[in-house]
Parts: sequence; C-alpha cells; structure tokens
Amino acid sequence: MLIIGIPTLLIFACSKKDSTDTTTTTTTTDTTTSTSDCSSAANTPAKVVCLAEAFEATLTSTQLSTLVVDFSQTNAVKWSNLPCGSSCRNGLQMANLTTAQVTAALAVVAAATGTVTDEGYSEIKQIMAADDVLNATAGGTTYSSGIYFIAFLGTPSTTGTWMLQFGGHHLAVNITYKAGAVIGATPRFEGIEPKSWVTSGTTYAPLAGEQAGMLAMLSSLSTSQLASAKLSATFSDVLLGPNEDGQFPSSKQGLAVSSLTSAQQLLVLAAMKPWVEDVDDSTAATLLATYKNELSSTYIAYSGNATLATNADYVRIDGPSVWIEFVCQTGVVYPSQIHYHSIWRDHTRDYGNSFTF
Amino acid sequence: MPNSFVMLDIKTHGINAELQLPLSELQLAFGHDVTQNSGTLVARLSPELRAYLLAHIHAVSADGRAWTVTVRDLKVQPVEQSASGPYQELTARLWLQAPVGVSTKDFTLNYDVIIHQLVTHKALVAIRQDWEKGVYSEQPEEVGVIRLDIPTGTILPLHINQSGGSMWRGFKSMVSLGMQHIAEGTDHLLFLLVLLLPAPLLVKEKRWGAFGGTQYSIIRLLKVVTAFTVGHSITLFAGASGWLRLPGQPVEVLIALSILVSAIHALRPVFSGKEGYIAAGFGLIHGMAFASTLANLDLDTTRMGLSILGFNIGIELMQLFVIAITAPWLILLSRTSTYPYVRIIGAFWAAIAALAWVIQRVSDKTNFITDLVQQLMKYAPWMIVLLGIAAIVSFSWERYSRKQGLNRL
Repeated sequence: MLIIGIPTLLIFACSKKDSTDTTTTTTTTDTTTSTSDCSSAANTPAKVVCLAEAFEATLTSTQLSTLVVDFSQTNAVKWSNLPCGSSCRNGLQMANLTTAQVTAALAVVAAATGTVTDEGYSEIKQIMAADDVLNATAGGTTYSSGIYFIAFLGTPSTTGTWMLQFGGHHLAVNITYKAGAVIGATPRFEGIEPKSWVTSGTTYAPLAGEQAGMLAMLSSLSTSQLASAKLSATFSDVLLGPNEDGQFPSSKQGLAVSSLTSAQQLLVLAAMKPWVEDVDDSTAATLLATYKNELSSTYIAYSGNATLATNADYVRIDGPSVWIEFVCQTGVVYPSQIHYHSIWRDHTRDYGNSFTF
Repeated sequence: MPNSFVMLDIKTHGINAELQLPLSELQLAFGHDVTQNSGTLVARLSPELRAYLLAHIHAVSADGRAWTVTVRDLKVQPVEQSASGPYQELTARLWLQAPVGVSTKDFTLNYDVIIHQLVTHKALVAIRQDWEKGVYSEQPEEVGVIRLDIPTGTILPLHINQSGGSMWRGFKSMVSLGMQHIAEGTDHLLFLLVLLLPAPLLVKEKRWGAFGGTQYSIIRLLKVVTAFTVGHSITLFAGASGWLRLPGQPVEVLIALSILVSAIHALRPVFSGKEGYIAAGFGLIHGMAFASTLANLDLDTTRMGLSILGFNIGIELMQLFVIAITAPWLILLSRTSTYPYVRIIGAFWAAIAALAWVIQRVSDKTNFITDLVQQLMKYAPWMIVLLGIAAIVSFSWERYSRKQGLNRL
C-alpha cells in the first residue's frame, strides 16, 4: 500500500515543504502521508533513508541500477565541479527523470542538507538555477539545471554505511552515513557563475555570504597579521578540488588563529559557517562545535588581494579538521566578471574516513 | 583553468619540445600583462619570455649531465576547444640538446614553467614523436603530469624513459602509416580506381569499345599501377629527403585535377595508349603529397631512409589490396553490356568529386560535396560488395540470355 501511494504523496510532501504553512495539510491526512513524507523519522539520517527509499520506489529497475552503485573508493571520488555531465559523475540525471521522480530525488537532497537561506538546499537550488542563466547566455547543451545527478553509494539504510552524492556544474555534495548518523559531510564543492543575477525581480547571490564571511575575517586583520597570512604562491583555483583527495599540505601555512583576538577568532568561525551550514542543521551544529574547539590549532591564509574581488584572489582556512578554500576566477561565460570556486573538506571526515588516500 | 601541454619529439641527438602555455595562467606566474595585447606579445617581450623559459626548463641525463636548452620560436595562438572555454596560448618551440654520446630516450625533465608560482597549474607531458616506438603526431602518448605535490609543497621532476623501441618497430609502423595513408586518402584511391575503369576496354573510333580480353586487361592494369608506383616513388624519395620541396596547396590542387583528367579519360579516351606515361606523371604529383607526411617528421638520414622504404611498401600493399578486390569485378563487368553505364556513372561521380576538391583546395574551405564524399567513404567496403554483386548478376544474366538465344536457334 505504501509503495503505490508514494508517487502522488511525494508531490504532496514537496509542495508542502516549499509552502510556509503545513498544518492544514498534515491535519487532514492519514498516517500514510506522515510515513511517505518521512516526518515521523527518528532523526535526519533516518528521514534521509526513508525519503531515499521513497525515491527508489518511483524508479524502474534499470534506473535503480544506475542510481545505486557500490560504496567504493572509485565511486566515492567520482565527482567534479566541471560541466562534464555523466562522464565524471555517478547516478541518474535530473533531466532524464519524470517530474514526480525529480520531486522525490530533490526531497532526499533537501532532507540531507541545511535549511538556512542561501546555504544548504536553498543554495543548491540556486547553483542549479545559475546553470540555466549560463545556458540562456552561452546557449548550447553544456549548462542546464537538468544536468545534475543523484547517486546512492551503497544501499541507504540506518544500519549500514552509504553515501549520498548530488552534483553537477559547480556543485558536489558528498554526504556519508553510517549506522544512522552522518560520518562525513565532505568533500563539498560549490561555485557560482554569475556570482549574482536577477530573475523576475529577485536578486540571487548564493555565495555572497561565503565571500562576505571570508572578507570580514581578512578585513579584521592588521597590516602585520595580513603579512603573515599572505601566501607567496598564486592560486587560480582551489588546491584540493576533485581527485585531490587526502592531499592536504603536511604543514599548515599562514597566520595562526591562536594569535588573533577573540573577536577576530569569532570572525574565523563565522567565515566557516556558510560552508558548514550546507549539511543538515544538526550535523552542522556538531561540526561547528568541533571546528570551534580546534580554532587554536587552525590557520588562515590568503593570496592575491585580501579584498577577494579579482581573479586569483584566494583565501583558506586550515584546521586539524576543517579545510576551506575560496577563490575568485575570471568568468568563463562572463569573462568580464569574476566567479567563485570553493571547497570544504575535512582532514579526518572526508567520505566518513572510509578510504585511504 | 586550462593546463599547459608539453609535446616532445624524440630525435637522435636531442628533443624538440613544444610548450603550449595558456596566457591567462602565464599572466599569473610571469606577469608583464601578457593577456593584454596578446597579438604583440612576442614582439614586445621575446627576450624576457625566452629568459623565463630557460630558467624553468632543464633536462638532465641519467649520468647527471645537463642538456643544452634553446628557445627556437614563440607564437601566440587561439585554442577553441577546452572545458573552460576558448583561450589564447603561447606556443614555444624549444630544442633540448643531449650531451654527446648520451641517449635521448632516458632523461629527467626539471620543468616548472608557470607552476613555480601558480601552484594550481598543471603541465601535461606527452611524447608526440618517437620513431623507434612508432609514435607520431596524430596520437601523442601522455607520459606524465608535472604539478605541485601538495603534501610536500614541491614540484617533482618527471623521469622520462622511452627505451624499448627499435628500428624494426619504427619500420613496421611506417609500413602501416603508408597503408593508412592510402586507406584514408580518398583522393589517391579515387584516382587509382578511375584510372583502372577503362583499362579492360579497347579503343574504337576514339571511343571506348568492347572488352579487350583478360590478358589485355591485366597487362594494362599492371602497366598503369607500375607506372603510378614508379612516379610516386621518385617524388616521395626526393621530397622526403628534402631535395624537392613544393608547397602543399598546389600539390593538393594538382592531385584533384589529376582525378578530373582521369575521369574525362574514362568517359572518352583522351590519352589512349599513353596511360603509362600519364599514370607515371600523376604518380610524381601524388608522391609529393606522400613526401610531405614524411618530411614533416623531420628525421635523420637512416630513419628517413627506412621511413621512405616502409611508407612506400605500405602504400604499395594497400594499392595492391584495393586493386585485388576491385579489378576482378571490373574485368567481369566489362564483358557485359552494363559496363558502359558503370563506367560513365563512375567517371561522372569522380569528376564531380574532383571539381569539389579543386574548389575546396583553392578556397581552403570544405563544401557539401567534399563532406558527402567523406561520409560516403565509410561505406566503401559495401560499395565494393555491391560492385561484386552487380558484376556477377549482370554477367550471369547475359550468359543465361545468350544460352537461351542459342537454344532458340
């Protein structure tokens, strides 16, 4: 009964999610609805598994075999920031799914990611929308909000280990679950071009918060602090992008956060937030607490200009756990503007520390 | 962000290195506003660029002796196809001279152009030519990536070891290059086939007449093919060894014209009885085109000699193969009343293709007929099967009809 009811109920569940008020719908529905929107799940990882199973139920067996692949190192590292479509990614492409299937797929992504505006799921939707903006300008078939992929590495369950991958151009979400808990929220790539645009009178700038946080952190530094934070090398992209797993520099570079005032240290923590809040709220809170505890052993560094406004302006936060890079790059479709690339990794938690690199 | 490419041509005494450096990335390492006014970059900054390259490229032999590096030329050109959109690059050609008596097959490349400063940049190194290993420009063989080793923060040298090749391997790959050249050279094939089209026929009152007999046909075929081979061997040898160098375009136009002339001859005998001379003359032209393939490889005398021999053998083998699978059907068909149609349609088709090629090669632009010919060539094996079926069917049918006719008498 549950399986038959799912496709229609999921549309219901999604429209409910987007609206501000859900009380009227929930009160009038029976227990099946609450099961299919998975709101009765014990916690977020359980809800993600529940929605993942609901999504699986909408698929044909062929689609299912594309969606669910082995939880292996080869599959885990198969992600990219490039518009390279299925050649560099696992799973099912949104454009090849029915509306109901897309709704069910995005419900999984929404549950697994954060609820803060311009972070988490809100940011994902905007990064996807930016590809439609690129397509409107550049034409062709390279960019589209339909060229995003969802994959499950391993079978979603609250007992075993599995990974959710969702990504496309400028986006790579890799969240690893084990025994019903998030054990890895990274690697997480996010980038945006154009960095800001207007659609139907609304301005979208999903990575503006990331830039602003890093800028506030660097702007708080004195001249001598800036000098210690400055790297001599130049960066035209993030250092630890796709296929650079486990390649963290063996020694930390730049300015020790321990040498900063407590106000400055709070700015460092605030600068991490827009990345950490991309994962579900409860995991984000836990990770932020960890990163806060490790601030005294964390370093910040930059290259180019501390204003983060021109090509190759670069900033990095490197702690015992956290690793965040943010870089400004000359635009590809809009070469007169810059666009952003960024990566969030974790020294000990990428892919849930399941692999050796 | 685009990568650099380093293409290596391994020669006997040294290595030709072609560096392809994206200007946007070079800008971040070298400065000097290289992305601004890129058109005048080389004129503006040639000494600085040369000094910069020499400071960041060193080759060392296994015994630790340093090679001598010289910058031969610099050029800015656009790159259209890339994951990050079109961009401008600086192409630098360098010569890496190995110390006397040292093998060019085993050395260490200390290279950090751009990467010394721009640590997110990578240089993809490929062998574009290694005669003994049968590597040519069409498919460079990637041998490594020079990049920052992020954990240690160092740029590791790239050790290149190309041992394992041999003269025999080089020679064999030249034979297959020759075969490939004919198999893919639609114009050479068409020329040969059109020339063979009227070979089995006798001339009668300045028109093509009846079948001249199997022996007559074979002798004429052999004459044409041998003459063509003699012709192209002479210019292939002269051209590849550098004694004769003609610009490519006029040669290509002449080749197209040679097909047109042969097509006209297949319609009406214009040089009947002199096919041998004509084939030899046109062979001289085609040989020059073959030569350019080898001359571009820029080899030393021994390797060039072996290449000419191997390449020519390859051409010959492929030609013989094509003749072996088509000539029997032509001879068979030429005994039937269908043959004039086959000959005329074939000749017209070749004439149209030849004209299209002339236009293409003069204007330097493909047109829809040349594209169509290119497309049709994929079906060449099926066309030969069709020719065979047509030959057998019309031959058997006419024989059967004749027998019926005789029976009725």
